[in-house]
Amino acid sequence: MKTILSLGAIALVSPFATAGDIPQIVWDAPAETAKAVEASATVETVPIKLEIFADAIYTAAGEMIDGGTIAIAGSTIAAITPGGKGSEGGLHVAAITPGFVELSPRINLADLSVEESGEIMPTMRANLGVDLYDKRWERLLNSGTTTVLISPAAEDIVGGLTSVLKTGGEPTVEAREILADATLAGSFGSHASRGNHAVYGRPTDHFVRRPTTRMGTEWSHRKAFYDTLAAMGSVERQFEGWDIMGSVLKGERAYIVQASATQDIRTAIYLKEEFGIPNMVVDAAAEVWREPGLVARSGMAVILPPFAAQGRTAIDNGFLAWNTAKLLGELGVPFALSSHGSASLNGRLSMQAGYAIRGGLPFEQALAAVTITPARLAGVDSRVGSIEVGKDADLVLWSGKPFAATSRVVGVILNGELVTK
Amino acid sequence: MTLLRNWTLVPGAIAASVLLGNLPTASAATGDALVIEAGRIITQAGDDIIDGVIVIQDGRITAIGAAADVEKPWDAPVMGGPDFTAFPGFIEAHTNSGMDRANENLDVTPFLNVRDSIDPVNFFFEDCKRWGITTLNVQQGNNTVVAGNGRIVKPVGVTVEEMTIRPDFGYKISLAPKSGKSRATQRQTLNRAFDGLRSDLEDRVAAAKQGEAFAQREALGQGRERDADAGEGRAMTGEGWKVEGLEMVKRSDIDAKVLPILEMVEGRHRTFIYCGAPMDVQPAIDFATANGLLAKATLVLDDSCWKAADAIKASGLSVVLDSNMVHIEVDPITEEETETFVPGVFSEKGIPFALSSANPSTNSLWFQAALCVGYGMERSDALAAVTTTPASLLGLGDTLGSLEVGKAGNVLLLSGDPLDMTSWVEFTIVDGVKIYDRSKDVRNRHLLYGVEPRGATAIKSDAPETPSEVEVDGEVEDGDKVEVDGEVPEEEVTEDVVEEPTTKD
Repeated sequence: MKTILSLGAIALVSPFATAGDIPQIVWDAPAETAKAVEASATVETVPIKLEIFADAIYTAAGEMIDGGTIAIAGSTIAAITPGGKGSEGGLHVAAITPGFVELSPRINLADLSVEESGEIMPTMRANLGVDLYDKRWERLLNSGTTTVLISPAAEDIVGGLTSVLKTGGEPTVEAREILADATLAGSFGSHASRGNHAVYGRPTDHFVRRPTTRMGTEWSHRKAFYDTLAAMGSVERQFEGWDIMGSVLKGERAYIVQASATQDIRTAIYLKEEFGIPNMVVDAAAEVWREPGLVARSGMAVILPPFAAQGRTAIDNGFLAWNTAKLLGELGVPFALSSHGSASLNGRLSMQAGYAIRGGLPFEQALAAVTITPARLAGVDSRVGSIEVGKDADLVLWSGKPFAATSRVVGVILNGELVTK
Repeated sequence: MTLLRNWTLVPGAIAASVLLGNLPTASAATGDALVIEAGRIITQAGDDIIDGVIVIQDGRITAIGAAADVEKPWDAPVMGGPDFTAFPGFIEAHTNSGMDRANENLDVTPFLNVRDSIDPVNFFFEDCKRWGITTLNVQQGNNTVVAGNGRIVKPVGVTVEEMTIRPDFGYKISLAPKSGKSRATQRQTLNRAFDGLRSDLEDRVAAAKQGEAFAQREALGQGRERDADAGEGRAMTGEGWKVEGLEMVKRSDIDAKVLPILEMVEGRHRTFIYCGAPMDVQPAIDFATANGLLAKATLVLDDSCWKAADAIKASGLSVVLDSNMVHIEVDPITEEETETFVPGVFSEKGIPFALSSANPSTNSLWFQAALCVGYGMERSDALAAVTTTPASLLGLGDTLGSLEVGKAGNVLLLSGDPLDMTSWVEFTIVDGVKIYDRSKDVRNRHLLYGVEPRGATAIKSDAPETPSEVEVDGEVEDGDKVEVDGEVPEEEVTEDVVEEPTTKD
């Protein structure tokens, strides 16, 4: 059975591996793809409604602008003008960064919203179960996070489709969503099999289902992708959601999997390599630093969990060394930082960037890791993640140098509206 | 300038002291001078000194100033250098950490002593060295009514005695309800502890008077002069209530379990009065006033207590901020959240406040001071809240909190500004003795670089080698410059340490 599975996988995968027209997320480091900001490029059609002068504009799309004005028209950035001193009585702050993009906010669905009827649930959609009245959205927004990727919780092996939302605005999915069905969410490690057990007790118990071990989780994962390959080759083998799984194999959609411990990260890499999954992102990848070579070779992207004071993170107790972000930067592995939805003073995303800098990460890479890189990984970098003319006017206003312990977020602009002051 | 230039003297000193039958101590008598050089000295007592030198002798600072102005003892070891910033050791104004268990389940326990609970090898004290906290006021937890005797310690030594700076220092009193109590029963218990003592003392005085009258009549009847017992007791002092005639009662006759409360009322002890809500603050002040505690009391505050700041200001008390730095209040009807930056309120009102590590911050006192600056507080005020303010609040303002001649040689050598995200405590020096060296801190290396301590990797035979092996305890040759610039060790990142998977199940 093992041999047949492996042969089948290789035979079926090869056409995709060689296809040249597969849409792929660009994983390049931001500095290489960043376009120079065109000075004074204005959009004439919509009147300018807000101008902000900053002593430093960190665009996440090229060099820092040493003093300049950002003009906002409607909900987008209309112009970025270097130099000047700002208008009399106008808004003047020490620094501006793009609004933060958080790929692992974990405030979307409670554990109770996990689909318990099965483990391979590609058709589930996070945006159908999101509570936009949750107070945490507001806290996230006030702490500088303007865009998040919401996922089904990691208690299913293939949890379903994620969605990219703004953290503020009218409390409807229509108003806040900027990309539906953005990526597929999956899970390795203990969460995926948590609570499951073999048949005993009440026969109708939801948790009487496989898998119950790490081995079982991996087996289910591989079977799901094998079935997908089979479905892509034969109409008779199609199952509900096979096309969604297929879009991951074709690289049309990134596959974001939770894997914290070293062994789970390895398993994720092997899955990627076995099935040739083009765009894979490991979420909560605390122990990625133990496998630097393997991760760099695999072409995966990484979402780091929040830094912990003594190193041990919440998910599967993975140990996150504080220089991990620096290491990933040196390896050229695309990575995003995450706060797991914390808006507390010392846990928020801007502080995570600060901690990464404390661990040795250069400032520009820290900025990218909370803005343009996560935007790229979620496939929304055409709208958010950097300060460029035409992009959404999602900005964070600072009292000093961003991410310094002595600086504070003094204001946030979302879709061109000042939401805090 | 070389670092540790004259450490060669130390073995000689140790040998000599061994010969003389003395046990060598950390600061041996002949070699206990230390010269610290720093590119910048933040003294917390006036202007910064650029390219400065600190001379410490017998544990105290004997000279500090610009390099050109300070004469260095010729035989003193020299450490530091132009890349370092020197800063006074941080002071923790109040902590419940480092103890076996911080809370006693009995209500009124002034007869206890945290001396019996402090664990010198507790990880907390190791962390203190790492974060540069050189002085700590250890008090019992807040979940109490009248707690045991506290103690001021330094995170140095393997016995409590070695650690002690001030033994038997202060008592914790809590106005906030102990778990399982209502506020009313909490206050009733507290009042009974003090009022009960008072009426007990009055009874004793009455009994003594009666006994005195009897003795006088007896002496009269026997036609002799009465032997005076006077002088065995002591009249009551203090600013609170007084029991007249207490000099007639021997102090040794008073129940030792409550005797400390009498001493508190007499103003002999500092008290740390915990308030868990704004509603506790005024009663705490009234309680302290009525019982004569006010002059030596400090309020330990929950974050919500900023609302009672005016009452605190009027009382003249200083405070320790024991909880979140940002208080979030949720309107029960609109659910609107209001955030208040707590230290900012006290700073604006001019109330002396100390920050404490009990604030849920991952990065100790420097981080909290930095956050204060982020919220618009003057840098000098923020730095004072972790150095000079806690020192004076503990009555140690003359010896701790700043770098001045005559003060204790508690110096941090940092890789940069104390409030900078990229700064690390490279050396911690307490009483002129180096107690922490980051280049030899295996836990710091583990946390920062993922380098596991030696031995840990060998046990885990199935785990791959860590990316690099780092020398964590390399020998320092005489005259060698010790590199402490915080460089990350070379990582062999290209090395693929795991074999290709051959099977998948």
